[in-house]
Amino acid sequence: MIVPPLAHAGHWITSLLYLVPLIVVIGMLAAASVRDRRAAAAESAGSPPGDATADEPPQDRH
Amino acid sequence: MRRRVLFVLAVAAVALVAVPEAASAHGFVGREDLPIPKWLFGWAATVVLVASFVGLAVLWPRPRLEQPAERRVASLPRLLDPICAAIGLAGFALIVYAGFAGSQETTDNVVPTFVFVVFWVVIPVLSALLGDVFMAFNPWRAIARAAAAIASRVSRGPLPAAMPYPTALGRWPAAAGILVFAWVELVYPGRAEPSHLAVLALAYAAVQLVGYSLFGIDAWSRRGDAFGVYFGLFARMSPLRWEGGALYRRLALSGLTTLDAVPGTVALLCTMIGTTSFDGFQAGPLWGDLAPRMSDALRNVGFSEATALQVAFTIGLVVVVLLVAGLYRLGVSGMRNASRIGLSTDALAARFAHTLVPIALAYVVAHYFSLVAYQGQAMGYLVSDPLGRGANVFGTAAQTIDYTWVTATTIWYVQVTALMFGHVAGLILAHDRALVAFKDGRAATRSQYWMLAVMIAFTSLGLWLLSAAGS
Repeated sequence: MIVPPLAHAGHWITSLLYLVPLIVVIGMLAAASVRDRRAAAAESAGSPPGDATADEPPQDRH
Repeated sequence: MRRRVLFVLAVAAVALVAVPEAASAHGFVGREDLPIPKWLFGWAATVVLVASFVGLAVLWPRPRLEQPAERRVASLPRLLDPICAAIGLAGFALIVYAGFAGSQETTDNVVPTFVFVVFWVVIPVLSALLGDVFMAFNPWRAIARAAAAIASRVSRGPLPAAMPYPTALGRWPAAAGILVFAWVELVYPGRAEPSHLAVLALAYAAVQLVGYSLFGIDAWSRRGDAFGVYFGLFARMSPLRWEGGALYRRLALSGLTTLDAVPGTVALLCTMIGTTSFDGFQAGPLWGDLAPRMSDALRNVGFSEATALQVAFTIGLVVVVLLVAGLYRLGVSGMRNASRIGLSTDALAARFAHTLVPIALAYVVAHYFSLVAYQGQAMGYLVSDPLGRGANVFGTAAQTIDYTWVTATTIWYVQVTALMFGHVAGLILAHDRALVAFKDGRAATRSQYWMLAVMIAFTSLGLWLLSAAGS
């Protein structure tokens, strides 16, 4: 039987604290990404198709 | 959008800065007599990275490291090159001789300390500071050059042309070589035995000589010679460059921007970071729990006890390297999606591969600083008695290791500082490359959100490994 390592919970919780900054930053990135997509979708819906890639860097158009 | 994100990042940075001060007021004291718990250093490091990211986005609008300008600062005497080669060759011969003829006690013989402390840790740091000094002392290259010169004289004509180095091979031989060396350091049971290390040194030299003879000295030095390539990567961080009997000065880190990311380069860098990570991981409690379970499972399928443990460690080593590679690839993939650039993930990973070099050095310094600080002192007596036979060549054979000259607290601060500097340097390089790759500042900054996440992930991983190794 596998015993959950509850006796070492202190170790695990402390280890998880190292992850907190990464989780915060990834959460912010995900939120920014969703906002970007919504803004791009709204922009492309309200403008001619040729303007849909206006945000892309010049070399991407090749 | 950019302003909003920058504002949010700045607010987060300020908020996180406040946390360590508040915790400090509560009087947390770590085992190393630290003012705050170790995990808070991870949070503080994140603050530094976020603040650096914001600073770069605002204050670094144009690439400054790409197309590095160099200035010749000195000419070197012609004799220096053969003298350095002779010293390197003599040192190699002495190490091999000491391995076979010296005491087989690990602490009495110079070979283990030289290989795992001086060669593996000190030379990378020297390379990052002084440039590619190893190239001049490289004993295998010296043998190849001497053999080529002798063969040319004997044949009284040009030697047959070397085979063209296969493009697809890239730096894969170097990646494989570093992985094998790390396996020897972390898994091989005979790693502490001088005679085993001497045999491995000779085997490595033989492989290099075959490589030199097949593909030519320059091509193999730049791609296949694992240690030459390994030290050469760190040397690109240096403000100094040695070439053709001259010394050049350049902006620190700028040498990395000219790194040609041929196949195997990303693999090599992930191997460098991953193997060091596993070194820290295997000293922690998580691996302490996992390793015996894996070993038991392997014994149940027929492995002997010793082999099962080696296989478990080998699996652990490879898995950690793959995890590091996966983490980097995830960041690059996010960068690709965020920037909408028309490059494949592989191509983008190669373009930003140079950003991993300072991280690899930071991991080396952070993980091995205490080893150099303590075991490095052993070189004081080992140079006088390299064979461990009672000699006293320089009168230092009676020296001992002083375990009090640097405290555990100092070691921790050095480790944290090294990790932070390494990752900030990685961020700078990534930002500078993004300005070139994406042409406009907005797309460059947006692309780098994911590289920031990668840097924070590597910093948190490094600090967690270091803290776990001590628990």
